[in-house]
Amino acid sequence: MKKSIVAIAMALMATQSVNAETFRWAGKTDPQTMDPHAVNSAPVIGFLNNVYEGLMRRDRDMRIEGALATRWEPIGAKGWRFFLREGVKFQDGSDFTADDVVFSYERATKPQSDVSSWFATVTDVKKVDDFTVDFYTSAPNPIFPDTITNFMIMDQGWSEANNAATPAKETENYATRNANGTGAFKVVERQPDLKTVLEPHTGWWGEVEHNITRAEYTPIQNPATAVAALLSGEVDMVNPVPTQDVSRLSNSADVKVLEGIEARVIMFGFANQAETLKYTADAGKPNPFRDPRVRKAVNHAINVDAIVQTIMRGSAQPVSQLVSSTMRGYSTSLAARPEYNLDKARSLLAEAGYADGFSFGLKCPNNRYINDEAVCQAAVGMLAQIGLKAELEAMPVSNYWSELRANNFDMYLLGWSPGSFDAEHPIRFLVTTPNPEKKLGSWNFGAFSNARVDELLPQIQSEIDDTKRQAMLDESAKILQDEAGYVPMYVQALLWGARKKVELVQRADNFFILRWVTVK
Amino acid sequence: MFSFLVRRFLQAGLVLLIVGFVAFSMFNFVGDPIDNMLGQEASQADIERLRSVLGLDQPFVVQYWKFLINALDGNFGISYRQGRPVAEIIAERAPATLELAAVSGLFAITGGIVLGIFTAIRREGFLANFIMTVSLIGVSLPTFLIGILLIYLFSVELDWLPSFGRGEVVDIGGWSTGFLTASGLKALILPSITLGLFQMTLIMRLVRSEMLEVLRQDYIRFARARGLSERAINFRHALKNTLVPVITVTGLQLGSIIAFAIITETVFQWPGVGLLFINAVQFVDIPVMAAYLILISVMFVAINLLVDVLYVAIDPRLRS
Amino acid sequence: MTNTTSSKPLSSWQQAWQSDLAWKFRHSPIAVVSLVITVLLVLSAVFAPLVAPYNPFDPGSLNLMNGFTAPLTPNAFTGDEFLLGTDDQGRDVFSTILYGMRISLFVGFAAVTLGLLIGVTLGLIAGYFGGWIDAVIMRIADVQLTFPSILVAMLIFGVAKGFTPVEYRDEVAIWVLVIAIGLSDWVQFARVVRGATLVEVNKEYVQAAKLIGRSAWSIIFGHILRNVLSPVLVIATISLALAIIAEATLSFLGAGAPPTQPSLGTLIRVGQGFLFSGEWWILLFPSVTLLSLALAVNLLGDWLRDALNPKLK
Repeated sequence: MKKSIVAIAMALMATQSVNAETFRWAGKTDPQTMDPHAVNSAPVIGFLNNVYEGLMRRDRDMRIEGALATRWEPIGAKGWRFFLREGVKFQDGSDFTADDVVFSYERATKPQSDVSSWFATVTDVKKVDDFTVDFYTSAPNPIFPDTITNFMIMDQGWSEANNAATPAKETENYATRNANGTGAFKVVERQPDLKTVLEPHTGWWGEVEHNITRAEYTPIQNPATAVAALLSGEVDMVNPVPTQDVSRLSNSADVKVLEGIEARVIMFGFANQAETLKYTADAGKPNPFRDPRVRKAVNHAINVDAIVQTIMRGSAQPVSQLVSSTMRGYSTSLAARPEYNLDKARSLLAEAGYADGFSFGLKCPNNRYINDEAVCQAAVGMLAQIGLKAELEAMPVSNYWSELRANNFDMYLLGWSPGSFDAEHPIRFLVTTPNPEKKLGSWNFGAFSNARVDELLPQIQSEIDDTKRQAMLDESAKILQDEAGYVPMYVQALLWGARKKVELVQRADNFFILRWVTVK
Repeated sequence: MFSFLVRRFLQAGLVLLIVGFVAFSMFNFVGDPIDNMLGQEASQADIERLRSVLGLDQPFVVQYWKFLINALDGNFGISYRQGRPVAEIIAERAPATLELAAVSGLFAITGGIVLGIFTAIRREGFLANFIMTVSLIGVSLPTFLIGILLIYLFSVELDWLPSFGRGEVVDIGGWSTGFLTASGLKALILPSITLGLFQMTLIMRLVRSEMLEVLRQDYIRFARARGLSERAINFRHALKNTLVPVITVTGLQLGSIIAFAIITETVFQWPGVGLLFINAVQFVDIPVMAAYLILISVMFVAINLLVDVLYVAIDPRLRS
Repeated sequence: MTNTTSSKPLSSWQQAWQSDLAWKFRHSPIAVVSLVITVLLVLSAVFAPLVAPYNPFDPGSLNLMNGFTAPLTPNAFTGDEFLLGTDDQGRDVFSTILYGMRISLFVGFAAVTLGLLIGVTLGLIAGYFGGWIDAVIMRIADVQLTFPSILVAMLIFGVAKGFTPVEYRDEVAIWVLVIAIGLSDWVQFARVVRGATLVEVNKEYVQAAKLIGRSAWSIIFGHILRNVLSPVLVIATISLALAIIAEATLSFLGAGAPPTQPSLGTLIRVGQGFLFSGEWWILLFPSVTLLSLALAVNLLGDWLRDALNPKLK
């Protein structure tokens, strides 16, 4: 009894000691784990960028800069050498050295790790001295430093002492709910699904730009509830804001909306190879989508501007290829989207022998991308204008990928955000002929296949000369556009809502970086 | 009496076994957990490795058998999403739901009884008819809409009450309670009303009709003839006899309060087991979904059993 | 019952008009208004293709640029005007409500019919035969009760999706809803009918019928059924309102009617996203329609309960 009274008294005091500088923010999902190698998903990696650091990091404009490395240089064609920052301390006070880098590499490439694909080309990592590390690659890899900005360094001593030297995915270990990084913030309280509390890491090596003394993250699933919480001041920042609420929030006296262009391209894909259609009354008939002219007709029939203007309320940007213009390797020469032209679409269909159209099944997620279901619905209407009767099935994302993997579609919606911020990424995952052994084309559900693109990919991956590399990327993008393997529509917008008193930076990868936040 | 109890217990056990089977078999169709557990760059080998680690590559019967054996042991497995024992997670989240259910239940019972009596006594009055009609709105709109409208009115427009969460909670011996802080109590108001409205309407109508029935009985007429005051008749005699069926129904409704908490918790981001369940459905977190359903079943079966036993205790004729 | 006893045969309409129930009905303004509203809504839903100015289920007729048009205000791009405005897809809200109500009412009626058929049959059997048959049926009812209705519905939805061949899934979505909601409410029919049957079984006319050797089935369906129907009618009416609401709730949980053929519930689920953004009409009109429908049906049920209860005269 006495104990509980003390507990109550302490809790009441704790309530009062929470001051105005506590920064509260909300997102749609909770980061599943605090382990930087266990789950490669945006909510986890984005959140942990505040706690852990990599050798490299990205600045406000997504340019790479050194974090735990101060300098880096190629070792001829064999790999890359990184010179480490000295005097860096982990949040538990221990020192950061080359051993931690080697340890983290080994940890991140174990079978239980979810980030091992970042090191697919790495053959070995060697400590040169306490503050120098070499990464050897099987082939020259010009963009390697760009690809490891999210490779976060863990403390060898802490991990081993707490039995967390291996990432845990299907079970839990000490690193799942605790963290010990070198980043600007440390985790002081972790209640999965409820809240995660961060406080500044006092021994952080960098220059402090924020004025936060405590930050609390809460997941809020229902978008309307999140907007209400922001409007009533219960949270200081919300990501994302539903597109339709942008104008209401912008007009509010205390709230502002930050709008940017995300890296995620939303597109339609097709069953490029299937012999027959799978859905509707036409199921079993030959698959018209094998014909590039039919796919092109779809491209001309989708009125992307109308989708952007109404459903997305202007918060999106039409796009012509699988990456947005801010990504490395974007093909400027192919910036124009095929025009919206129903006559052209109809004549292409007629040419292909489908003047009377046909019907087919369209698959769509309903909780994965911004307004995904509404976009698909609109597409159904637009395709109906040229005689293509799409039967839409929208489903939660938990069923969606297994459905696509089982080839249950004639046409489908897909969003792709290149993890490396480079045009090579979607080619590797979406465009090359699927090949599980070589880990190629793993998201190329429709099995689009083009021999020339398959030939170009390895060359792109190892080309050091930027101009030559770009020429090959342009060629691949051109092939894809001509063949209409996908119908890229628009780049999603980043929509963050924040109280007006909060200054923050919205980075293009949708990561919310706390050390750039100031509260007035 | 003893053999009756044994028989009922055995039946309850059978019911739970069936529920477990149904629950477990259904989850095989909800989706594939693997996709949620791996990032977009995972390879086929990663997928297969995880599938075999989780035992998802085994035949369904084997999976169910393992699940059953473990469940009998009180071990509901490890959550796919959080990597922690399911029992631990549920224990952590249960207080939020139970407190919400208790307050909603209280709201429903007191509100229902008070309004029920009023509408019964003033059967022909304008106000009573008005209440009867308005109360139907509570059962004529979906819960989620009522919740969102309440948030819009009381959180956004009036700025009186919080729109989400439990406020500050105090941890007493592993039970986190929102009853001890001002913000915790404030946070309870809107979700409780949302959740309790439906049951309140139900109880109010039940009390009213029971009350009307009782007031017609002979002994009430005698009481009136003997010159007892209206107040004494209404409250000492009529109400007392009304309460028995009301308590039975209320007990059975407790379970549906907890079930319907799924929706209320989603709307208000209330960190209870209902929200946990919805998260689990979205993530295809099979162990959490199965454990939740079994928990709900145990609760229902227990309540049913209790009601049966009470009936037997009250009514000796049923003992034979 | 037979007409042979009455000296002057009445048409069945006259009989109905002169019945006790009809008299009570004519003297209850709430009942009359509720019935008128219900009939109006049901008729406008049934004849939606004739009443609605557009067909919102025909994707080819939609113009996305008409999206978010306010009621009775010309659209900024196309100049088109709509009575109740348009939604995010440029669909006329008025037409969508009429078509949506069709789906809601269909799901509601079909689900209640299903629940009623199962529940009444099982209730009669359990009550008449008693013994182990009764025990088995009531245990099954317990299992069913163990799963709260929305969970049952969600699970059936999930299973049906898993078992349906991919190419038929869209067509069965609505039927799955019917089965899910119907199966979750047969228990109350069964319980009430069983209770009423238990009372009837001991009455003299049943005993007499048994004595003269009538078969169990003819006694059940020829005599008992007729006498337990009034509580069934009351439950059915209230269940109809509940089923329509349940469909809306399932829609919120992502297991409702498909968005290309939205029910009232789906419309409300979509509309709630526009509560803060100023497009109030997308939420308000479907909500008001659902409210009026459910309220009218509920009030009817209420009135029926009072009217059929002989003790409350």
